[in-house]
Formats: sequence, structure tokens, C-alpha cells
Amino acid sequence: MSKKIFIDFKRCIACKACEVACEVINGEAKIRVFEFPDLTSVAFNCRHCEKAPCMEVCPVNALSKDDDGAVVLDPLKCIGCLMCAVACPFGVPKLDEANKIMDKCALCAGRRAKGLLPACVSACPTEALKYGDINDVLWAREGKIVANLKSSAKRGKGENALLVL
Amino acid sequence: MAEKLVPVVCAWCSVGCRLYIVNDNGYPKKIEFDYDHPGIPNKGKLCPKGVASFQYLRHPDRLRKPLKRAGERGEGKFVEISWEEAIKEIAQKLKEIKEKYGPEALAFLGTERISVEANYVLQKLARALGTNNVEHPGRFCQSTVFFAKQKILGNPFLTNPFEDITKTKAILIWGYNPAATSPVFFGQYVERAVLDNGAKLIVVDPRKTETAKFADIHLQPYPGTDLAVALAMLNVIIKNELYDKDFIAERVEGFEELAKKVEQYTPQWAEKISGVPAELIEKAAITFATAGKGALLQQMGSTQHANGTLLHMALAALIVICGYVGKEGVMSGAIPGAYNAMGVSMMGVDCDMLPGRVSVEDEEEVKRIEEIWGFKIPRKPGLTYFRIIEAINEGKVKALYIVGVNPAKGAPNSAFVREALKKAEFIVVQDVFPNETAQYADIVLPAAAWYEQEGTIMSFERRVQRSFKAADPPGDAKPDWQIIVEVARALGLGEYFNYSSVDDILREINRTVPILAGATPERLKENIEGCIFPCPDEKTETTRLFLDGFMTPDGKAHLIPVDYEPPGEVPDEEYPFWLTNFTLVGQFRTGVRSFRSKSLEKRWPEPFVMINVSDAAKLGIKTGDLVNVETRRGSLTARAEVTPNIREGVIAMPWHWDFNYLTADVLDKYVEMPELKTAACRISKVEG
Repeated sequence: MSKKIFIDFKRCIACKACEVACEVINGEAKIRVFEFPDLTSVAFNCRHCEKAPCMEVCPVNALSKDDDGAVVLDPLKCIGCLMCAVACPFGVPKLDEANKIMDKCALCAGRRAKGLLPACVSACPTEALKYGDINDVLWAREGKIVANLKSSAKRGKGENALLVL
Repeated sequence: MAEKLVPVVCAWCSVGCRLYIVNDNGYPKKIEFDYDHPGIPNKGKLCPKGVASFQYLRHPDRLRKPLKRAGERGEGKFVEISWEEAIKEIAQKLKEIKEKYGPEALAFLGTERISVEANYVLQKLARALGTNNVEHPGRFCQSTVFFAKQKILGNPFLTNPFEDITKTKAILIWGYNPAATSPVFFGQYVERAVLDNGAKLIVVDPRKTETAKFADIHLQPYPGTDLAVALAMLNVIIKNELYDKDFIAERVEGFEELAKKVEQYTPQWAEKISGVPAELIEKAAITFATAGKGALLQQMGSTQHANGTLLHMALAALIVICGYVGKEGVMSGAIPGAYNAMGVSMMGVDCDMLPGRVSVEDEEEVKRIEEIWGFKIPRKPGLTYFRIIEAINEGKVKALYIVGVNPAKGAPNSAFVREALKKAEFIVVQDVFPNETAQYADIVLPAAAWYEQEGTIMSFERRVQRSFKAADPPGDAKPDWQIIVEVARALGLGEYFNYSSVDDILREINRTVPILAGATPERLKENIEGCIFPCPDEKTETTRLFLDGFMTPDGKAHLIPVDYEPPGEVPDEEYPFWLTNFTLVGQFRTGVRSFRSKSLEKRWPEPFVMINVSDAAKLGIKTGDLVNVETRRGSLTARAEVTPNIREGVIAMPWHWDFNYLTADVLDKYVEMPELKTAACRISKVEG
């Protein structure tokens, strides 16, 4: 079972509640909202890759997958060599200069242990961030698209026929 | 670990979101989301302000001790004094001024930022001293829509619960950007309606906002000309007979006069004035009127105009003739922007209203309240907010008691306000931070912030909720209601202010305001979701208004036909641009609290000037250039942001930093609402 945060960028309104929530709970925002001139916006965080390059290159095995499939860093093993940052295609792991080790999103491991949602997902007022088993999330999305297509005839023709999903 | 979760209501906008403050031995450590109560309006979600809402509580700037002025007014030099001295001095001065000049020389300003109970005792104190000069910033915020809807429908409040908007078929959002000002309301209700349920969204706003991003139709009038658009929409609906004939026959008066009046206001005429293409106005009107169920949401972009009351009379007519009231799946009504705005107006912190929005001239009702209070209430309406400032300038009002308001920055033409404040004989400011207005005060009192005291709050859904004490106030700060009661006792009015807790005050409110009789302290403590007023007893609540009729004497809506009036100031050769302002998602009002929340300040650090791409090209302005924006009242400098998301000819700025001294003090003729949303300006690049 792999639980992830799915980003539904069409629902995002760039309010940055996710950033502030992560900062308040974790001390530093590990998710960022990118805004484009046409008002499109996307929240972006660690993808907790299925085949995580950061894990593969870590020379001291400081990175591992937990039961929910999140890639988490063991601060006692990390030596701050930055190999994970080099390997990550998104540049997610950052250097924590005070402690000379790396720092990255752990999908709010502490909150998950208490049965709570990750902070960014808890806050997101538009539900642009959804947390759950990734296949469940994607099946639900597909189901919605199919239902929308099925009922489109009732809504008229052309631009009126489809809902934005 | 002595951590505990204390349930509170968020202290920014008026959606009424609930959250927990993590209280660690009296210290507000962080927040936790409330996913335990499915009945709360925010369903656990929060916006960035809500998440950061505990951060300003322990800011080093917090007022900790009462202060007395040591230098000139406006210098901001103070010495610390004790509570006893402060209260004694205030009581003495207020007494002196009242004896020397009469009670009319006293004035009080309440605020949306304190509880229902604190506002109640504040206005009661003003009335006990014999004056109706008691106002709150809602005068600069919602008074136009309150007045228009009160007159036409008999009640200005939101008609339906939030849930109903997800069932609607068309949503008309007018001068309002809920995606930035109330993200939780937008995300949980409006966005669901549009994205998941196929509601059509029509947005009226000169800027392309995060809300307009979702719009099917986006009308971009020049600021202050939207009245023309509203009249043209009425014209289209009536000409094409798209109104609800049965509903009008049964429940509406004055339709024929309205139809006659709007005949001349064609979409083509409106295009000339507002710059909105006629076919778009037509399309919007037809889409809205033929939807079957519609919602109209509006905020300061429509209310802060000199023709704001006229606009809202037209918009009320629009809602009524379409029949979008008194049923499920529709919504309209006032949407205030600050967390207890509904509460402050219900408590009669108004120069002509008593608790329960009873007019001071309604003899029968005033007598009933007099019996409960035990003293005589003045019958003459007091001065409105801006007139109070003018009266200080003219020397008619001598003493001003300000709770949680910042007129030195927030009022229109604020430079004049600052000059006026220097002339007052005595000013008390009761606040959490030493704001711009406090620099002019004789006595500054440290108040406990929202999460540091227990109190009741009313959201714009009409939901009455209790918020609990989640942290200890810093230093000697005290809850607002307690300070006001102490002042009242020192004035010798103790017999009328016999309260030992907020519950005592709320019980008196239950007796004074019949429609709040059921919102008892016990009920609010037991039901964390609160209740939606009118609630005449503990078992009831009224989620939908106007189901059987309007709240007018005959139960019908009385339409008021209006003529077009231009905004108070329009661009000319000298000042060729329209200037307007807007709100950022991560800042609040004049920034007294949000500038001191580190997560917000980091992300929304400074003002900027939005200018359209083609206007910028003509003036040689690029994004990041320093520009000077100048009106007839003053000028300010900020960085430019060249963007296609604003219409040509309009300049827009967020107003949190300093903006209102640029605006004219033109007032709405019905409610004296100043024109804060539009002014004529010129813009130039700062060389060097």
C-alpha cells in the first residue's frame, strides 16, 4: 500500500495554506506553491517516488521507505553529503545548515503515527491536495471523469456539456 | 507535558472556521485542525491566516501594561502606569467632559475584532453615559448593503446556510474575491458548486482574480461604475421577461416602477460607462436569470462606493425578481470581512441601532430595552464614524474611546483623520498592539487577544459560536469586556454593569434580543458547532430566511427603483487612471496583527502596483520598477507588477500597507459610506 499526496492543480487557488501549515507544524515549509502569470498554480512537494533515486544513492542508508511508502530520512545516519539532492530530479532534499544534515518532507510521519493527515493536506481549503492510497485516489478521479462524460448530454452541447474536473 | 487542545473560532475573516490552539501551560504553542466536528463550516480546513493565527499572540510588540502619554500627540512617547491609575483617569476625564460639554461630546468606537459580549457592554456604556455616538468599522465595510437589504427585504443577513451554495445553478460574485478573502468558504462551497456540480460562475471585478479564474463569464467594469452593469442586467432580464412572474405577483411590490426605471439603461449604455461589452452583460443576465437557482455574493468591491447603496438596491431587486430567495439552493446577503462583524452589528454598536438592530427611534422597542437595562436611552441618532472624526476636528466631540480600530490608517483620507485626532481633548485606545491610532492616545490599554479570552462570535452564516480561552494574556493585559466593565464601575454605573463573566453578559443579551434568546451559554458550550440565529428558544435555529415571506411589515419585498449615479471621482486629463484596491490572501486589514505573524509577513511582504500590460508599455514601466501613484490627496511609491490580470486604465494595489489616505472623502448619501474603492490617479516611473 502506497499512500501519497495527489495534487489536483485545477482546484488550487494559490492561497499557500499548505506552505504555512507545513511551516507551523514542521518549522520550515517543505511544500511550495508555484504561481504562473495566467493564475495557474501548483503546490509542489517531495513526490516520495516509488523508485526513489535519493534512496538509491545514499551512501549511508539514511533514507528508507516507511509502511505508508513515504521516503523518510534518519537524521542519526545522515552525513550531509548532498548526494540525495544531486540525484533528486526535483531538488527536494535541502541542507539543514545548523545541523549539517539533510532535511526533507517525511509526509508528516509524526502526524501519521497519531492517525492525522499531513499538515498541508489538513489545511488545504480547496482539497487540491488529497492524501490516500494513490490507486484509490486515481480510481476515484477516473470514476468522476467517466460519470461526467456519461451525464454530459444532459447538460447541453459544446462548452456547456462538460464540467471542469 | 501539559499540552491541551482548546477549541477556538478563527480570528480573521467571518467564515467562522473552528480550530484548536495547542495550549502548553498557558502558552499558545501551535494550532491543530478540528476534524472532530463534521458540523462545523470549515470541515477542518483552514486558510494561511487561520493556520498562522496564533503567531502574533506572543509578539514582542504586544501591549503589556497600561500606558499614559508623555510627549506630544502623535509622537508615541508613553510611560507605564497601573490599571488603577488608568481606569481612574479615564473615568475622571469622561466625567469632566460630559459635565462640561454634555454627553454628545463623548464618542466610542467598537470593533469586529472583539466578542459579542464586549461589544454589547461597550455600546451599553455609551448609552448609559447618554450618547448614541457609538460606531464600528462596518460603516466603512458593509453599511451600504445592510441599509439597502434592510429596507427592501427587512433583513440584510445571509439568507441560506453555506451548504446551499453547492446546490445552486448560477453564482454571481460581485466585487468580491472569496478565493483570497475567504479561501475556506470558496474551496469548500463555491468551488465545489462550480467544479463538481456544474454551477455557472459569473464574476464582476476589474481584476482577473483567483476567483475569476473559475468564471464562465467575467465582467470587468471600471471601479465604481458597476451600478451601470447592474441596471443593464435588470434591463435585459425585464425586457426578455426572464423574471419569476409568480414570485413577483405573490411577494413583490414596486416591480412596475422598477421596469419603467430601467428601460433606459440598456447594455449598450452601460458599455459606454463601465467599459464592459454589452453582449457580455446580456449573456451574464440571461445566464443568471434562467438558472432556476442562483446565488449572489458580494463584498467590499461593491459596498465601498459613494453609490454603494444604490448598487445594492439594484442588486437586491435582481435577486428578488429572479425569485432567488426563500428556498433551498439560493443565497444572498451581506458578507462582512472581519470575524465578528455580524456580532458587532447585531449588538447595536451603531449610531442609530440598539442590540437586535432596533432603531433608536422605535419607541416601543426602546422602552422594552430600557426596562431591562434600567436607565434611559437617548433617542437622537448619534454621529456616523466619519462624522465623529469631523466633529473632533470641529471641536464638537472632545473624548474618543477606541477599541481595536485603527482609523489613523484605515479611515479614508487618513491624513485628515490624523490631524483631527491631534485636536481631541482625550483619547483612549484599547488594543493588542500599539497601532498608528495609539500614537495619538492619552491612555493606551492593553487588551487580551481573541484566543486569550472566552467569548461569543457570529459568522456571516449567522452562526453563533463560542470560542474558549486558549492562552494567557501577556503581562497585565485583560479581556476587553472586563476593561469596559471596570471603566463603567469607576464612572459610578456599576449597578447596570453587574457582570462577573461573559456568560452573565450573554444571558442579558438573550433577554434583550428576542431572536438570540436561544443562543444561551449552556447551548453554545455543549454544541461546538453553535447555532444559526434567529433562534428564539434553545431548541430552534433558522437556517433559511424568508421561506414564508420577507421581514417587512407586510411580508413583501419593496423594490426601490434607482437611477445611475457616477462615482465621486472619475479620471480626467490630469489623473487619467482609475485606482482601486484589493485584499491579499495572507494579510488582513491594516496589518496590525498580520504584519506581526512571521509566516504571513514572509510570504506577503510588501505592497505592489498592478498595471495592465498595454498601459505599462505606453509609460515604459516594467515589472519590478519603482512607480509613484499619485491622487489629489497624496502619493505613494511601490514596485510595479505588469500583468494582463487587470483591465486597461485601472491601477490596483493591496491596501494593507497604506492606501486609504489616497482616497477621497466622498460619502454615500444614505449611510455615509466613504468611497474607498475608487479614485482617480496618475502613475509615473521613479527615475534613479
